[in-house]
Amino acid sequence: MSRFLNELDANKLLLSYDIPMAKSLCCRTAEEALIHAEELKFPVVMKVLSPDIQHKTEAGCVFIGISCKEQLEKTFRLIMENAKAYNPDAVVDGILIQEMAEKGLEIIVGMKKDPQFGPVIMVGSGGIYVEVFKDIALRLLPIDRYDAERMLMETKAYHVINGARGKTYDMEKLIEVLLSVSKLIQQDDSIEEIDINPFFIYEKGKGGKGVDALIKIK
Amino acid sequence: MEETQAAGIVINDENARCFMSKNLDALFNPTNIAIVGASGNPLKAGYVILQNLINIGYPKKIFPVNITEDQILGYKCYKKLSEIEDTVEMVVLITPSQMIFEVMQDLEARMKVKNDIKVIVCAAANYGETKTEEGIKRQSCLMDTAEKYGIRVVGPNCIGIIDNINRVDTTFVETLLPKESRGIRGGISFISQSGAIAASLLMLGASQPAPISFNKFISIGNMADVDFIDLLDYFEKDADTKVIGMYMEGYPEGRKLIDTLARITPKKPVVILKVGRSEVGAKAANSHTGSLAGADAVYDCAFKQFGIIRARTIEEMMDTLQAFDSLTLPKDENVFILSQAGGPGIYCTDALSDELELKMPVIEEESKRKLEAILPEMANVCSPEGYADITAAANVNHHVEALRIIMDDKNAGSVIFITVVPTFLPREELARGLAKLLKEEGYIYKKPVFVSIMAGDYVWDCRRILEENGIRTFSTPAQAVKAASNLVKYAEYLKSLDERR
Repeated sequence: MSRFLNELDANKLLLSYDIPMAKSLCCRTAEEALIHAEELKFPVVMKVLSPDIQHKTEAGCVFIGISCKEQLEKTFRLIMENAKAYNPDAVVDGILIQEMAEKGLEIIVGMKKDPQFGPVIMVGSGGIYVEVFKDIALRLLPIDRYDAERMLMETKAYHVINGARGKTYDMEKLIEVLLSVSKLIQQDDSIEEIDINPFFIYEKGKGGKGVDALIKIK
Repeated sequence: MEETQAAGIVINDENARCFMSKNLDALFNPTNIAIVGASGNPLKAGYVILQNLINIGYPKKIFPVNITEDQILGYKCYKKLSEIEDTVEMVVLITPSQMIFEVMQDLEARMKVKNDIKVIVCAAANYGETKTEEGIKRQSCLMDTAEKYGIRVVGPNCIGIIDNINRVDTTFVETLLPKESRGIRGGISFISQSGAIAASLLMLGASQPAPISFNKFISIGNMADVDFIDLLDYFEKDADTKVIGMYMEGYPEGRKLIDTLARITPKKPVVILKVGRSEVGAKAANSHTGSLAGADAVYDCAFKQFGIIRARTIEEMMDTLQAFDSLTLPKDENVFILSQAGGPGIYCTDALSDELELKMPVIEEESKRKLEAILPEMANVCSPEGYADITAAANVNHHVEALRIIMDDKNAGSVIFITVVPTFLPREELARGLAKLLKEEGYIYKKPVFVSIMAGDYVWDCRRILEENGIRTFSTPAQAVKAASNLVKYAEYLKSLDERR
């Protein structure tokens, strides 16, 4: 039976392969939440931490821009209530307090195991309209730098990254992320699916940061 | 296998592969062939198979097997396989499928004594592909017997195989190709998962200005045994195979297939018409040869990743295969369009712009001056860059010399040459002039040139002269562009491998 990692574990796994993710901490009480939020500095993002709730936004379990103690406490209760209402049987590991990452160009990086072809990596325009724009490119894993570059070139996002609107984004960081996913899959056979969306990439030389990740394991 | 074990050799994958490919040698070059279900009725497949084998000039012995006939097409008929005294390495099965049990029983009787059969080509249909209990039972009977004696099986549900080098043709396809045009050497080896597509390709190939003669051609039907990977392994090592073509609906072990193809593409090009691109098409493919079509987007990315050329249409596949077989690879992505008329030239330019890999080059000033000097006054030289229209006023010499100038220009990686022959331009003279430049003077070996002489029957003889000189022609400029683009894609892939090493 395959299962999902909770977001915190997913982040940790990706971080261990040098894929930068937004700083996240787990809390079980509103008091703990406050300590973490102060550590990460307001404003913060709050999300439910549960392997049983994958569509957190739909479940009403994601809140961004939490800027003070009162709001934090109120949101803590709200997320707990919404999670229960969405799926009464869901195991809730806690609530994730995440830094508000600076917004960048939204990219999706994914990996899926195809029953016939094995692991396939995906990259493309990220965000909530992925399904609508379908601006993605695929490659069988493992890939090398050339493959990573070529697959990026197949996407429309490539032109934006390359300065279509004047600003050039950190392509190098994105290539590194793709190569890291490739390495991760080669080393860890248990991973069935990875979905990092969005991964923000910033101006050239400033790297990038994933803010939401889903990992399914065997 | 038993023999190998007795000799104390450990059977690893490599040994198994050698053992299997040995039997594939018998598939393309068998010592004597028996046709079980041969017929004296010219309307039956069992008759056409025998006729094709005779027409291609199969140099060894042919044994028709038929219970009721004594003689077919002058060949003595046998009642049973087990009656044939000579060695038989290949058996072609074209009996009604219900008879498979009897035929296999007789085959076993023969194997116990002679142990000589290496390959069965089961052309007959109505086996596993029907997905009925009866059909599956028939296929199991065939396969169990074959496996017991280490016999390789092609099919069932296929049209057979052709080898133009060894002069074997077990197909029941009537191409109307005259006897003297059979068995001509070609560099294209082809594998088809569909019998009907295979048949139409053979017929289409036979109907070109100069017929396309495949090197090896095989229809694999249900792939009960011999499948894509066996044949790809074989064609990879076959020195006579210059380019491999495939029509495929699906293959259950996608990754294994891609890994095999990835090993081959650095050595020779592979062109695949993979159907089931649409969701509905994929469902149709599933129910057709009973294969798993697989997510098309994944096939598509894998093809791109490993330099496998994907053709979208039958025309594109045939054109591309011919181009790979007859032309050198381009040094870069620059394609010059040399047209004798405005309309077709613009049509070609549009088609070229759709191919993202291709660019139109800026040729040398010297070449432009030369073109202006030799061409009629109204000619358009390089407006836009990479394009010239020599106009309907151009005579044969203008055609040939303009092409020479572009072929000599180092900035043109490939050339597309288009002409719509006006009534006042002598067609044969044009063909001979172009053939002299390209073939005799050797210009065709410098860079690829895609000749499109429009259109229809009016220019057929003109195209035939060129094709008989090894210069393939294209029916339309758009088809020439597709072939040019595919050659560029492959050449770029090879370059990328060098860069990555």
